[in-house]
Amino acid sequence: MLRVTNLKAAYGKIEALHGISFHVEKGEIVTLIGANGAGKSTTLKALMRLPPPESAVVTAGDIEFDGVSILGVSAHNVVSDLKMTLVPEGRHIFGNLTVMENLQLAAWSRKDKGAAKDIDRIFDIFPRLAERAKQHSDTLSGGEQQMLAVGRALMTKCSVLLLDEPSMGLAPLIMYDMFRTLKKLNADGLTIVVVEQNARLALEVADRAYVLDTGEIIAEGPAGDLLQKPEIRAAYLGA
Amino acid sequence: MELFLQQCVNALQWGSFYALIALGYTLVYGVLRLINFAHGDIFMVGAYIAFFVSTALLAPGLGLSREWTLALTIPLTMILTSLVGVTLERIAYRPLMRKGAHRLYVVVTALMCGLVLENGNLALLGASRKTLPQLLEKNVYDFGGIAVTNLKLWVIFAAALVFLVLHFVVTKTRIGMAMRAVSWDKFALPLMGIPLDSVIVFTFTLGSGVAGLGGMLFAMSYPVLEPYMGAMTGWKAFIAAVVGGIGDIRGAFVGGFLLAFVEIMVAAFLPSTFRDLFAFSILLLILWRRPTGIFGKPQTTKI
Ligand SMILES: Nc1ncnc2c1ncn2[C@@H]1O[C@H](COP(=O)(O)OP(=O)(O)O)[C@@H](O)[C@H]1O
Ligand SMILES: [Mg+2]
Repeated sequence: MLRVTNLKAAYGKIEALHGISFHVEKGEIVTLIGANGAGKSTTLKALMRLPPPESAVVTAGDIEFDGVSILGVSAHNVVSDLKMTLVPEGRHIFGNLTVMENLQLAAWSRKDKGAAKDIDRIFDIFPRLAERAKQHSDTLSGGEQQMLAVGRALMTKCSVLLLDEPSMGLAPLIMYDMFRTLKKLNADGLTIVVVEQNARLALEVADRAYVLDTGEIIAEGPAGDLLQKPEIRAAYLGA
Repeated sequence: MELFLQQCVNALQWGSFYALIALGYTLVYGVLRLINFAHGDIFMVGAYIAFFVSTALLAPGLGLSREWTLALTIPLTMILTSLVGVTLERIAYRPLMRKGAHRLYVVVTALMCGLVLENGNLALLGASRKTLPQLLEKNVYDFGGIAVTNLKLWVIFAAALVFLVLHFVVTKTRIGMAMRAVSWDKFALPLMGIPLDSVIVFTFTLGSGVAGLGGMLFAMSYPVLEPYMGAMTGWKAFIAAVVGGIGDIRGAFVGGFLLAFVEIMVAAFLPSTFRDLFAFSILLLILWRRPTGIFGKPQTTKI
């Protein structure tokens, strides 16, 4: 469904991705793991076609969605037409809007009439958000903000969800809850690409994994296999 | 007492002009964190557009009545002025911001755009001053000794109406929600499937359209136009927006009326050479007490 081939991307003159290739099939959970600065966020932002200066410019290679190159598509069209969106690193919720407004705004590009029903569905998944619906979202706790970031992404009615370090800054219990929720959403048909520094957690929920190191993919395979590899364990799992 | 009330009416009228300009500063700053220093000159452009549109409509070719001319000049001026504002955004600011230019360069670009508008006008139309045709039959009402013209009432009414409409747009509509969202976090907006550029263009449209209306009403009140008419008024409106709390539309109004009130009262009861000294000293004092302006919240939501 998503195919990246020999992708190079640069911030100005500095190349951050040196020709990476990977693919994601419908219904999978794929994870990209790697140390800080490896290029994980750069990869996700490139997939979303976000513009510079926040995002790197693709200088070579291709990104295909269902067999069609999307290099010329704008970010908002990736969301509205291809039905793929990103829960960015640091969440980026709109703190000056209420929880409800954050969810409503995310339904902007939808043409169907199901937004109200989907808000109820998101409140079912994350009951804490329902309690705080009228609150300004910058008053939420870190865990609640992450729930809102995921809920907001789901409001776009995406079929592919990219997540950038969803575990960051979360207490362990909330973190496991979040990953259980992702697993459930995946069972309902959502394709997921998740980037993590917490490699163990990511490898436990993912079907397949890629290991990114300074802009290059240095290992790939079924998540369970990578979990067993001694060199991966030594470098990324601290064991 | 009567003199005081009379001056209050005048202050409300001047405050309306300041407020109508300050709004554009505040909207654009709220959404883009950009101080659009060409905005005072957009107000001037609005006055000239009103002159050309109304003159054309009254000319023998069309020969519309004064009432029809007024009714048509208002929307046409607002639309054409917003086109000028949007064009500046499109050809001057957007390419710079796309390249990740530091905000300072965009602000300086805006300053230069303003100078280009002023001097372009001078070059194109020459130094002869234009006079807006009279579009409204002048009526003077007497409220217990206070003389109020119908035009003054219209100006104040228009400013109040604009405030209510903008307040509604920003707080209650979907595009207003998007504007508030951009002011908080520009990065995440496209991830909701919302084209950022449309929200920015909408913001410039609102701001310049309202400045165009302000320019037209100003020209109706003081019919002699000149290319630099937007400069000083624009600067003052900008200061009013900052004192009110730039980024907040309530601030633009309160700041605008406050500045006008101080100016008019000083001019009425003290030697008129004291006017600007007093006006700006008082604004300085307010900023000294509240560095983020009357409605400004430190480092949080703007708009
Ligand atoms: N906005 C940016 N401008 C310039 N360089 C950047 C920017 N964002 C990231 N980089 C650089 O690109 C490389 C990859 O960064 P990133 O994709 O954020 O890594 P990760 O998400 O894996 O921690 C790093 O060397 C980082 O310094
Ligand atoms: Mg990152």
